[in-house]
Amino acid sequence: MRNVYVLSADMTKFGKSPLSARELALEASKKAILDAGISPSDIQAAFVANAFSLSEKQGHLGPIIMSGLGVPDVPASTIESACASGASAIREAWVNIGAGIYDCMLVVGVEKISQLDTITATTYFSFGSDFVFEGACGASFPGLYGAIARSHMTKYGTTEEQLASVAVKNHENALSNPNAHLHKKITVDDVMKSPIVASPLKLFDACPFSDGAAAAILCSDDFLKMKSRSASEQVLIKGSGRAGGTGALFQRDDLTTLNAAVLAGREAFKMAGISQKDIDFAEVHDCFTVAELIAEEDLGFAQRGEAGKLTQQGYTRIGGELPVNPSGGLKAKGHPVGATGVGQVVEIYEQLHGQAGSRQVKDARIGLTHNVGATGGSCGVHIFELT
Amino acid sequence: MTEQAQKEVSSEMTIKDFQEGIRDGKIEGYKCVNCGHKRIDIMEFCPVCHNSKLEKVEFSNSGSVLTYTIQFVAPEQYMNEVPYAWAIIQLDEGPKVTGWIPFITKPSDLPIGQRVIFKKSYLPGIVFEKSN
Repeated sequence: MRNVYVLSADMTKFGKSPLSARELALEASKKAILDAGISPSDIQAAFVANAFSLSEKQGHLGPIIMSGLGVPDVPASTIESACASGASAIREAWVNIGAGIYDCMLVVGVEKISQLDTITATTYFSFGSDFVFEGACGASFPGLYGAIARSHMTKYGTTEEQLASVAVKNHENALSNPNAHLHKKITVDDVMKSPIVASPLKLFDACPFSDGAAAAILCSDDFLKMKSRSASEQVLIKGSGRAGGTGALFQRDDLTTLNAAVLAGREAFKMAGISQKDIDFAEVHDCFTVAELIAEEDLGFAQRGEAGKLTQQGYTRIGGELPVNPSGGLKAKGHPVGATGVGQVVEIYEQLHGQAGSRQVKDARIGLTHNVGATGGSCGVHIFELT
Repeated sequence: MTEQAQKEVSSEMTIKDFQEGIRDGKIEGYKCVNCGHKRIDIMEFCPVCHNSKLEKVEFSNSGSVLTYTIQFVAPEQYMNEVPYAWAIIQLDEGPKVTGWIPFITKPSDLPIGQRVIFKKSYLPGIVFEKSN
């Protein structure tokens, strides 16, 4: 495989937007193109990460976005892996460039869901699981993670206060992220007193429904040479891992781990040739607070059952041993499904280039992203290094 | 079509079959003819031995709660039933299924491992109740 670099990565603000998916995608793509200092005509192909565009009565987003960028001839197609669509699209672009098919690609993740009422949006989210045997049998999407949380608490003694400490940290981090959906400092007590959604998970254990888009320009060494750019001080994709799990949560023997994340993490670390201690910070998929703890355990950053305690002790805060979700994570930065995995890459890009302002992780050289589809039917893990 | 293939087709379970079975008070799924793995799913190959010969079987309606959540927000079909427990249940023959248990409002109402039984109902989905 050839080296693949993230030449630029940028995003819209996440939150409730009056704009449609195509407009959000165009805004993020334009920013990424201008940041990269390239022309749309340099893009040879694109992937769009999106899950719910049909809810806006629009399919086939690829050509619509490329037309809006003035390059309708450029092939673009949608990649859908529920909430992991972003990581899947990054992965496939990495494959295409690494294999020498293309030298410059656009990856744009986008979601627009705020036009749906809460019940309809909740129903759409549950379509990412095995709907026949779970959603149609009474599970809401938070309910699936509620069952995961109860299993983790039963097996390891994880407490609701430990779950709450994830939300408190991520809300704190998002305060200094201008693109975050939620700018609200909260306490453990606020989380504990928020309404129960799917016990043991409460409203403040859950990410918000967000609109938004994020885009990245990926390129090869040859492209850098062609543009007379140096290959040093660039964000290199050092490892890429992707794996699957049963679409149905209930079929699994152990609900306290997502096997897809374990496998994807292993593949990414092996390819990067580094270990967990080499990672300076991580952006992980905290759609619910418990998911951040399981991510840390699945990726080998924490022993099984220990992530809750480590979070309470400040291990994962900015300034801690391993900052996790300095962006605010899905929990507070927001979770526009298709955009989420690409949005994680935006945080990687800003952190590695020292552009993260007051949430900057000191001396960040290597970052990791972990993006999960639904309850772990899909997972993509990427490791990035500043060359 | 060969006789062998016909036999396999006739034992397939459709989603409609599964849902009609539930309305009739039966929980149906597959047993792998080769390794005996039992599973409630829509599938063509056994996930354990990857054999394609599967037979449709009816499971007993009794099992135990593996884990659950108490939902206060629910999908459209269940909006009027909240709060209730959505549970993952292991049936006595081994396969897992999910269903809901009405009138559960707090964790002390439903210990992990609670014995439950499915009974035919006019309500949506697979309704379990506590048993001994």
